Amino acid sequence: MEENVFIIHPSEIIRKGLAWILQEYFKMEITQLSAISDVNSFAAISNNLIITIIQKGASLPAETEERLRKNNQLFVVSLSASTDKEGLVEGYDYDLNVLASNLEIQKLIQVIRKSASKSKPIMADNGDLTQREKDVIRQIALGLSNKEMADKLNISIHTVISHRKNITEKLNIKSISGLTVYAIMNNLLDISDINPEELI
Amino acid sequence: MKIFKKEDKMSSLVSANSNLLPVINRFGIQLGFKEKTIQDICKEKEVNPDFFLAIVNTYTDENYFPEEELLSFSPLLLIDYLKNTHNYYIGYALPKIERLLENIMANCGENYPSLKMISSFYQKYKTELLLHLKHEDEKEFPYIVELYKTRKLRPGQKSITEYENEHTDVEEKLSDLKNLLIKYVEPGYNHNDMNEFLQALFQFEKDLYDHARIEDAILIKQVSMLENELKPNEVR
Ligand SMILES: [Fe+2]
Ligand SMILES: [Fe+2]
Repeated sequence: MEENVFIIHPSEIIRKGLAWILQEYFKMEITQLSAISDVNSFAAISNNLIITIIQKGASLPAETEERLRKNNQLFVVSLSASTDKEGLVEGYDYDLNVLASNLEIQKLIQVIRKSASKSKPIMADNGDLTQREKDVIRQIALGLSNKEMADKLNISIHTVISHRKNITEKLNIKSISGLTVYAIMNNLLDISDINPEELI
Repeated sequence: MKIFKKEDKMSSLVSANSNLLPVINRFGIQLGFKEKTIQDICKEKEVNPDFFLAIVNTYTDENYFPEEELLSFSPLLLIDYLKNTHNYYIGYALPKIERLLENIMANCGENYPSLKMISSFYQKYKTELLLHLKHEDEKEFPYIVELYKTRKLRPGQKSITEYENEHTDVEEKLSDLKNLLIKYVEPGYNHNDMNEFLQALFQFEKDLYDHARIEDAILIKQVSMLENELKPNEVR
């Protein structure tokens, strides 16, 4: 999961200072915005961990926040001024004070990362292909339809389809011609078995 | 990551991201910026600075996508830009990739089925992409231009979504091509040739991705909105 950090604050001193600390300690890529509405242009991000640090009392534009929350793990951190001691208030996930030490800032990021990784979906295993999957690739490369493959390999069409899905996920190759090239490159087939000019 | 603003110097843009050079060339803007700002140069070249920034920032930060701003520009402006991009692909980017692939093929042994397959796979990809571009240049774009000029839907006219569905996804095979090379190519090729080829593929993929994003999320959206507006008129 990629991490996006936004620091949204009208004060350049605060933006740059906080960005410097986070970059130094966490090697994070940080987007600094001076106006809250600028965040609207980032509303299409999905499947990321997003940390937004905004001035306490301010909030993200409702529509954008909703969209970001739906498609990502979003954490909104309020940044309060030094004299403010009230701590976390409604509408934010965490509170940060401008007087916070480096250590406190580090801790906060670790807490956020931990809570994000807890709900992270488990990745499919990237193992090698099974013998059956290799059989299926060979038939795909030879140009057989799902039905023909099912008959030839003595399995149901449903099983063929599920093999194809697993193959694409494991190899990250989606096109039929790409799978044909894969089969040749990995010696599942000989180049003389197919006509390279007729790649689908 | 920094979002560029009108007051920034044009030179800072290229210093921050040299991949933007071909993008700004498409607006007729070339090197030799002196101390001029983005605003200055846009004015000189009669380019709409807000449109310029929306495009440039979209390319700079892949998470940035100024939907609201971009939707406020005329689709005709957008079409000009997209057509220039197509010409850049056809006239420069693809021939360059091909030259690099020819280098690889010329410097590897005769009996190398893997690369032979890669080469025919590339041809396949190219044919598909050229068809896609042609479909847009010759059918989709003229339809949009006419629609904005006449503000009328002809009876039986295909909608923009129907046009879109007619052409294929151009990213799938390109991503396959990259993966095949990265994961399965066997030794026997010239490293430098191969690296250049792969780098060119990466850059092309990125450019194409942003291009498609602008088409899908802005152009198609805008045209669909106009089509919906015009529909009741047609019934009357
Ligand atoms: Fe296009
Ligand atoms: Fe397209």
